[in-house]
Amino acid sequence: MFLTRSEYDRGVNTFSPEGRLFQVEYAIEAIKLGSTAIGIQTNEGVVLAVEKRVTSPLIEPSSIEKILEVDNHIGCAMSGLIADSRTLIDKARVEAQNHWFTFNEKMSVESVTQAVSNIALQFGDDDADPGVMSRPFGVALLFAGIDDKGPQLYHIDPSGTFIQYDAKAIGSGSEGAQQALQEVYHKSITLKEACKASLTILKQVMEEKLNSTNVEMATVTPEKMFHVCTKEELEEVIKDI
Amino acid sequence: MDILQINQTSDYKKAGPLQAHFNPYSYNGGTVLAIAGENFSVIASDTRLSEGFSIHTRENPKTYKLTDTTVLGACGFHGDVLTLTKVLDARLKIYEQDHHKQMTTGAVAAMLSTMLYHRRFFPYYVYNIVAGLDDEGKGCVYSFDPVGSYEREAYRAGGSASAMLQPLLDNQIGFKNQQGVTRIPLSREKAVNLVKDVFISAAERDIYTGDSILINVITKDGVTDERFPLRRD
Repeated sequence: MFLTRSEYDRGVNTFSPEGRLFQVEYAIEAIKLGSTAIGIQTNEGVVLAVEKRVTSPLIEPSSIEKILEVDNHIGCAMSGLIADSRTLIDKARVEAQNHWFTFNEKMSVESVTQAVSNIALQFGDDDADPGVMSRPFGVALLFAGIDDKGPQLYHIDPSGTFIQYDAKAIGSGSEGAQQALQEVYHKSITLKEACKASLTILKQVMEEKLNSTNVEMATVTPEKMFHVCTKEELEEVIKDI
Repeated sequence: MDILQINQTSDYKKAGPLQAHFNPYSYNGGTVLAIAGENFSVIASDTRLSEGFSIHTRENPKTYKLTDTTVLGACGFHGDVLTLTKVLDARLKIYEQDHHKQMTTGAVAAMLSTMLYHRRFFPYYVYNIVAGLDDEGKGCVYSFDPVGSYEREAYRAGGSASAMLQPLLDNQIGFKNQQGVTRIPLSREKAVNLVKDVFISAAERDIYTGDSILINVITKDGVTDERFPLRRD
């Protein structure tokens, strides 16, 4: 890494002559150090599953939260620098409530993602106004939700680019997991199959042995909307993989 | 002093503080009326724009088409109506660009309410009624006060002759104060004819209502226009 450093590494907003923004690219690299997160969209709803790295037996596993609620109908899974996600999730939550306040309707998944992407590139090295980030966010997000268009899954990276996916993996095991998702995914996959598939794939890419305390899973369905799976529900899925 | 009229003569005029008044509003009259049916809604307004005893124009309808399924009726101070409809159109366009869809009638109503309340202490002097179709395709009418309190209703009159029209609608559509009446659902033809009848009556008594009416009927196929003459005196 140090060998390839150039003067274009210095400014976070400086394009290199080849037209690259190194700091943004490095931020995307930082995601690959994070724990794996998977999202699968089905006709019945969307599932999010993440690995929790419980690095010490003294850690309280429930204090590691990598799937959060944005609104009743939208959930978010993350990988990378989790602390950076606070600002983004806060933005998403405020925007969703603001939309409801103004229009008395649920904000679409795409619009929430768009709102978050708008602040992803609001960084710079001028210390003009406080609160603005001095570097790109080091976190990638998976937004899962249901709106007028049905169940949807969106991925957003530190460059602010957001793309809709049928199934997407982020984090350290993302390469292998994405490959596995491509093999297992089909358009008529059920939610139950998707839950099982997401944990099966997590199990394959995780270093630790998968159990009900070191993974987190959530679904967004028309019946329950955003719902974080309980320990019992997790064990129910884990027992047949 | 005033009775003795001695302040008219400059000899007795007292020097003292003068207060200049700021009059940001005027009242230009006009009446709007909306009725929600099973799969349609009707919204109508007279076309007179007046101030005191003079008529500015006989050709100023007070309904504004906002989307394919939403029409706003707005009367009161015309200057505020112009600004409010302009801001609404801009907000509608921004919503469409942000969310890649047209606003529903319910969303328009909710947004209008917040827009009006944001001017809580210097309000738009405008009486608003929004008519359109809801998410299920049923007719819907939302009525507002000038500071944003709003409610979905089956029928509502607003503006200068509202106090004359509303009781008629209560009786004819709400079947109020009638005994042994069969509540038949309102047809589109009956609604339009009722609108004409009640406006004719209002034009007899209210000097701020007259000249003609513009009747908009909103269905899933779009918005139709119909003009109907009223007395012009």
